[in-house]
Amino acid sequence: MDDINNIIANIPKLITASGETLYIVGFALLLGGFLGLVLGLILYVTRPGNLLQNRPVFTILNVIVNIFRPIPFLIFLVALQPLTRIVVGTGNGNTAMVFTMSMAAMFGISRVVEQNLLTVSPGVIEAARSVGASRLRVIFTVILGEALGPLILGYTFVLVVIVDMSALAGTIAGGGLGTFALENGYRQFKPELTYAALVIVIILVQLIQFLGNWLARKALRR
Amino acid sequence: MALVSLTDVTKTYPDPNDRKRQIAAIDGVSLDIQAGDVYGIIGYSGAGKSTLVRLINALESASSGSILVDGAEVTTMREGELRKLRLGIGMIFQQFNLFNAKTVRANIAYPLKVAGVPKAERNRRVEELLAFVGLSEKAKSFPDQLSGGQKQRVGIARALATSPRILLADEATSALDPETTHEVLGLLKKVNQELGITIIVITHEMDVIQQIATKVAVMENGKVIENGEVYEVFSNPQHAATRRFVSTVVRGIPVGEELQTLRYRHPGRIFTVSILDGDTSQARVFEILTQAGLGFELIYGGINDIQGRTFGHLTLAVTGDDAAIESALAQISALTEIVEAR
Repeated sequence: MDDINNIIANIPKLITASGETLYIVGFALLLGGFLGLVLGLILYVTRPGNLLQNRPVFTILNVIVNIFRPIPFLIFLVALQPLTRIVVGTGNGNTAMVFTMSMAAMFGISRVVEQNLLTVSPGVIEAARSVGASRLRVIFTVILGEALGPLILGYTFVLVVIVDMSALAGTIAGGGLGTFALENGYRQFKPELTYAALVIVIILVQLIQFLGNWLARKALRR
Repeated sequence: MALVSLTDVTKTYPDPNDRKRQIAAIDGVSLDIQAGDVYGIIGYSGAGKSTLVRLINALESASSGSILVDGAEVTTMREGELRKLRLGIGMIFQQFNLFNAKTVRANIAYPLKVAGVPKAERNRRVEELLAFVGLSEKAKSFPDQLSGGQKQRVGIARALATSPRILLADEATSALDPETTHEVLGLLKKVNQELGITIIVITHEMDVIQQIATKVAVMENGKVIENGEVYEVFSNPQHAATRRFVSTVVRGIPVGEELQTLRYRHPGRIFTVSILDGDTSQARVFEILTQAGLGFELIYGGINDIQGRTFGHLTLAVTGDDAAIESALAQISALTEIVEAR
């Protein structure tokens, strides 16, 4: 009974923490998702043999992505501090967390985008070119549309990873469910609060997964 | 003047194994295609025919030579001019290459959007094209809901959307079964005859040439080794590759093992008579043999109809007195070509 009362007493805190997690995850997805799309598109089109092939640009971006993408997020988070302070004005807090996560997500998403675009059949691209469509028109009206279903699934996958990253916000004095579980549950020996946070995260991830699958099904008509 | 005119065109690629060396995919091809032709280009895979056809709408750029389409030089065109050129040249593909994320209607409307055709006009044109290819009920379907033949008909409608003067068909029926092939070829014939569109057909199947082409070019190793009216090329092939293609639709002169089997099974001397349109009377050939008191039987061969003209070879085993055979032979030689199998 004490456990349940304790959880009930902490509901306002849990709501605040959930709101913070949504804030961090939502904005990181928007910013990182957009930047990742742009970077992934550039990687795709500049790849040798593709529409705007450009070996130097492709090679440089490819190396950059290969260097930054596999860095463990916790190390990335602290290593990026100088840049975060310049861009956000502070290295601490939820907004700093959004920036860092966006950068990390950008590298991950760029690969997801590139790989999904590579599945679009060259024949379909050739067909679009053969009716007189310009390269840019082909990219935006054919390639992105043809890859939409797999792209949605890719983003869904990445979004779950972003939720994962967001739990580390406490490291730089941010909030969210991770911080809540650590400070109110783990450090105060109140496992029930840890589990309350866990349940909310599970529900959040399941909702994301469900929504992603549903959208992808609509896009793929299956 | 020819609608499409290639002069001494080459296309080279760097050798993937040795980048300093160049490989010629197209090696000095000259070809004139007149407006209204259904021009077949036949060759085995790797002969360069797919590359050749892509030079015409500049999906591939030529390394040297001149390509005139409707009098305009393609090889020196800028990107903007190329886009305009392509609006006037439709293309269909072996794998159809439809936009899978778009409906049939949107697939057909796509070239019109690219051309900047206003919406009302676009819709009217799409309806017209759907009716032309017989798919009006499938407007809202997606490509993965269609059969192969239906997909190719959508491909044809899409290629015709901007009312091009030229249609390029790259192995357009190679992924289809014989019946659907026949149906799609029928539609292409209709495109040529009713709309007056010049069609350039790439294929490795002589059937396709026989069914719709008026002229044919045979390609091997990046070169055109033979070209002309389909009937002329069929009835008098000059190259080994051409003879192999012709033999896939019409049995010619038996050679090698086939001849051995025939000899084993049939007594007498074996002759092959060429049956050409108009100037050969089969009845007369048989009459001469009968009058000479010779026995004969038909053991091999075939006769086919190409562009409404007859052509083929008949192989006979003739038995009887040698002198009578020689005299009959002389009489038949005056009528048509007759050769003895050796």
